[in-house]
Amino acid sequence: MKIIRYLLVATVVLASACSSVGVKPWQRDLLAREDMQPSGSSIDAAIDDHLYFSKEASSGGRSFAGGGCGCN
Amino acid sequence: MAPPADNGSPTTLPAPGTVRLEPRGKMLAVVFAAMASPCEVLLPTMDQLKAMEIGRFVAEETWRIEKKFSRYRDDSVLAWIHRNRGRELTVDAETSALLEFARQCHELSEGLFDISSGILRQAWRFDGSSGLPSEATIAKLLPLIGFEKIAWRAPRLLLPEDMEIDFGGIGKEYAVDRAYEQVAAVLHEPFLINLGGDLRANRPPAQGAWQIGVERPDTDRDAALLLSLEHGALATSGDSHRCIVHDGKRYGHILNPRTGWPVVDAPRSVTVAASSCTEAGLLATLALLHGATARSFLEEQRVRFWILE
Amino acid sequence: MKRRATRGGAGATQAVDSPGAPVAPRLAHSDVRLRLIAASCALLGAGGARAQSGDAVAPLTPSIATPAPSDEWQIDSALAYYHEDGRIRAIEPVVDVAKNLANGQVIGVNLTFDSLSGSSPNGALPSRKAQTFASPSGTSLTDPKKTYTTAPGQLPVDPNYSDDRLAAGASWQIPITRVTQTTLGGKLSYEHDFFSVSGNAAIAQDFNDKNTTLNFGLNEEYDSIRPIGGTPIAGSDYSLFEKNGGDKTKNGISGLLGVTQVMTRNWLSIFNLAADRFTGYLNDPYKILSIVDGAGDTSGYQYESRPDHRTRKSAYLENRVGWDRASTALSLRYMSDDWHIHSETAQLQGRLWFSDQDKYVEPTLRWYKQTAAYFYTPFIPAGEQGSTGYASSDSRLGEFHALTVGLKYGEKLAGQHPGINGEFSARIEYYQQISDGHLDAPGSLQGLDLVPKLKAVLVQIGWRF
Repeated sequence: MKIIRYLLVATVVLASACSSVGVKPWQRDLLAREDMQPSGSSIDAAIDDHLYFSKEASSGGRSFAGGGCGCN
Repeated sequence: MAPPADNGSPTTLPAPGTVRLEPRGKMLAVVFAAMASPCEVLLPTMDQLKAMEIGRFVAEETWRIEKKFSRYRDDSVLAWIHRNRGRELTVDAETSALLEFARQCHELSEGLFDISSGILRQAWRFDGSSGLPSEATIAKLLPLIGFEKIAWRAPRLLLPEDMEIDFGGIGKEYAVDRAYEQVAAVLHEPFLINLGGDLRANRPPAQGAWQIGVERPDTDRDAALLLSLEHGALATSGDSHRCIVHDGKRYGHILNPRTGWPVVDAPRSVTVAASSCTEAGLLATLALLHGATARSFLEEQRVRFWILE
Repeated sequence: MKRRATRGGAGATQAVDSPGAPVAPRLAHSDVRLRLIAASCALLGAGGARAQSGDAVAPLTPSIATPAPSDEWQIDSALAYYHEDGRIRAIEPVVDVAKNLANGQVIGVNLTFDSLSGSSPNGALPSRKAQTFASPSGTSLTDPKKTYTTAPGQLPVDPNYSDDRLAAGASWQIPITRVTQTTLGGKLSYEHDFFSVSGNAAIAQDFNDKNTTLNFGLNEEYDSIRPIGGTPIAGSDYSLFEKNGGDKTKNGISGLLGVTQVMTRNWLSIFNLAADRFTGYLNDPYKILSIVDGAGDTSGYQYESRPDHRTRKSAYLENRVGWDRASTALSLRYMSDDWHIHSETAQLQGRLWFSDQDKYVEPTLRWYKQTAAYFYTPFIPAGEQGSTGYASSDSRLGEFHALTVGLKYGEKLAGQHPGINGEFSARIEYYQQISDGHLDAPGSLQGLDLVPKLKAVLVQIGWRF
């Protein structure tokens, strides 16, 4: 589908435009800290996502959609 | 390091993981292999059972430390640290003490001593070939060296991706001191622990001072130096590996972590005496890193030392 | 080169004494030895055996047992308690176990159990008269054991709602090269009236010195629905209890394309685009709608009816900024689907570390807003019942906004108490939904609270080690 192709191109362009942005491996000390990890991975996120999945019409976005339960 | 001069030396090492009791004139020696070196515990006045117990203990403590910090084992703490580069780890008390020691040595040596410099192995292969690495190869590795680039705040360690650390420069001396302290806490008779040339003794045997022979590097085992030790530690650092000869210049295997190149005109062997093996070993290593100025460096430190050119 | 044994001072053979007391440094360099002695003492003093004055030779054992590196296994567990004001209560224990293998792979297993009970709105509207409904397994309105009655003016809720769910998931992360990683995963979920199985695969590719990561993943889900009492015919008259038996199924495929970018040493940015499409049985088999005339009287009910497919798209942006003792994260999500629902979500989370990164607090604020599905209606106007269009009064498809306020406290126990490792945490969240729908209450229904707010509290304790 055309839109997928545009999205793919946009993402790759964005990714390569970011080639001058970033840090050296030894500057990643803060980024390794647990509170700097992307939010989708914790148990809190799973419990919250389950709550919002059962009470709202939206789900997912930061990782795969909650799903897998009969609560919606 | 040869055994005391008045005795025949063993010609074979015991099998890995085993210890062997040997008579040495009026002394007993428990010998074993560890850290790629012949090791021994000398006990002049012990009965055989006690000697074996003490010797076995020293061997096991040495093997424990060797396994724990080995570069070659998947189950070592070092391997675990390298598997988790880029992640913050909490290390145990012993590893924490060693890392803290490495940090302090890095500071007091103004960067000459650096446990993250092992990565230069990738550029320098001392295998008898006469090729030198290119400037570009070295330049790529230099940014990955530098203890200051490691986020270390006891007990939390964050080793950046692509960097490496190893305790090869201090492991053996640390094992000597660690084993020594525990034996000295319970044994008041004289004893000497010798791990591949790094040694420490608590007091002289009844026969007089311990007689230590320091080998010439790179040759058969004729002692180049004969020392008498009453108590304290001796550590020897040397250039016993093969080197690279290029354009008539000899490039030894001691590499300067700041430049990535071998130290110029380093002595072939340095032996230092100090109260602990760790201290002696680090001074010997630092002396080699000073290259041509090794002797003046050691003189400034006001330690007993011996240099073999 | 001539071999010489040289030594600062006299001849080669000399009794070696213990070193003399260090003299006052003349040059900066003689500091080196002093500092080295201090450093060595610190190293050897740490955890070593102390000299004892005892005479007998004590049995010797190596000084420090080597602890197994504790980060090979990571166990994260939590117990959450959820309470909706006057309605549902739920308790949910979760355990997540991950193991790092020597080859760089990571295996994870997750187990969740959740148990809900309480009363759940059935979709009908309050009325000035008492109303009687059949429980899901009931087939008539006259059997007292299988019906429930709602008092006049109250929101109709099924008071015996209960559901237990057991879910298990597994994931396997495999590094392919230093810059490529794939993850495979699967999930199973089981309830007495619902069963789900899903599988996913994702690939992550690093660029620019690992500063940029491209993520792509696909997830496929298959669900089987077995409503209690059978599946009602969508849109049919409630009082006829027409259930055409048969289990129903639905399946969905979802995809995610994302970029994670390290902006600076303190700032990480994530942008994701996601889409999913579900087809099959998407109705809630237990929900009905009231048929209400202009005077406000309920003349009957009908089962709800939703389309048999739904496509959603979303865009998500997250920015995390960190400093020495604190960090903050702002995430924004926009979603829209072909049921004409669009939603906006904004979440602001902060963390503040105390006492050398051993304790922290984490406040959270979330704001959410959604528009109604095109077939959402709070009731069916009398005369329009039985029409072929879709209709549902499920408040989850309505127009509302919601606010969450939360606070979490965490404390690392490693080193503070002998033998105890790990991190303890406690969290409380308050969630409130406020309807934005403008309901022109017909006739006698005016003055009644037709769509009450949803208020809920979540309390959770967690343990990680």
